[in-house]
Amino acid sequence: MTATGPGEPVTDRETVVSRTVAAPRELVFEAFTEVRHLSRWWGPEGSSTTTRAFEFRAGGEWVFTMHGPDGTDYPEWISWTEITPPAKLAMVHGEYRDDPNAFESVLTFEPDEAGTRIEMRTVFATKELRDEAVEKYHAIDGGQQTLSKLAGYVTETLQPTADG
Amino acid sequence: MARAATTSDVFNAIAEPRRREILVLLRTGERPVTELSQELGMPQPGTSKHLRVLREVGLVRDRRAGKQRLYGLDARGLRAVHEWVGGFEQFWTESFDRLDAYVQELKQERQEE
Repeated sequence: MTATGPGEPVTDRETVVSRTVAAPRELVFEAFTEVRHLSRWWGPEGSSTTTRAFEFRAGGEWVFTMHGPDGTDYPEWISWTEITPPAKLAMVHGEYRDDPNAFESVLTFEPDEAGTRIEMRTVFATKELRDEAVEKYHAIDGGQQTLSKLAGYVTETLQPTADG
Repeated sequence: MARAATTSDVFNAIAEPRRREILVLLRTGERPVTELSQELGMPQPGTSKHLRVLREVGLVRDRRAGKQRLYGLDARGLRAVHEWVGGFEQFWTESFDRLDAYVQELKQERQEE
């Protein structure tokens, strides 16, 4: 494992998403601890959740359906593996209990001058699993990695043209 | 849901492995169809057909250069692919946007109490 700076993925099996929220750490953490909070912000704009079971403790589960903005229903299952208020949360995220493709995300909450910095690191067991997760979140089948890199390269290096 | 025709849907267009190979070959720059055929080891008419599909969905552009036609990558179609592939990060970026707005509400409430 090579040392990397904060917010830098260590491998192509990892994704890092971070965000600074202008609020005290305790309050930001609290938004992760109850369904009445989670249901207000979980998922992209226009989505909502229906919860069937929720128990916020290490080893506890959140079983719910996410209704996507386009009306698609996604079965969701989350189990917390570590809860250290207000600094850290680790969770396994899949479609159902014992989902072999479930993956772990670790969220850290760091105070900074602007408020609280949330960093979510998700490491997939294999690149294939990462690709599958990406696919679940509306990616395409086959060659995503190559195409993603290709697309990144193109959008970074090709000048926008008059018709583009 | 009915699948869109390959000729209008960028994702259907790149579901075909040879067409993805063409895109990768074009990363290094523009090429004529003859070179692409050689690289792919497939007859020129087949390669031309793939290029036509890629052009119609906005992944490849072509231009005349003297006697030959050169094919190169077109960023317009690829941008859509890039955004789509970034779905996981996108999901969380949008969730964190909503989290931020919600926490501001909470903060307001707590201050009023």
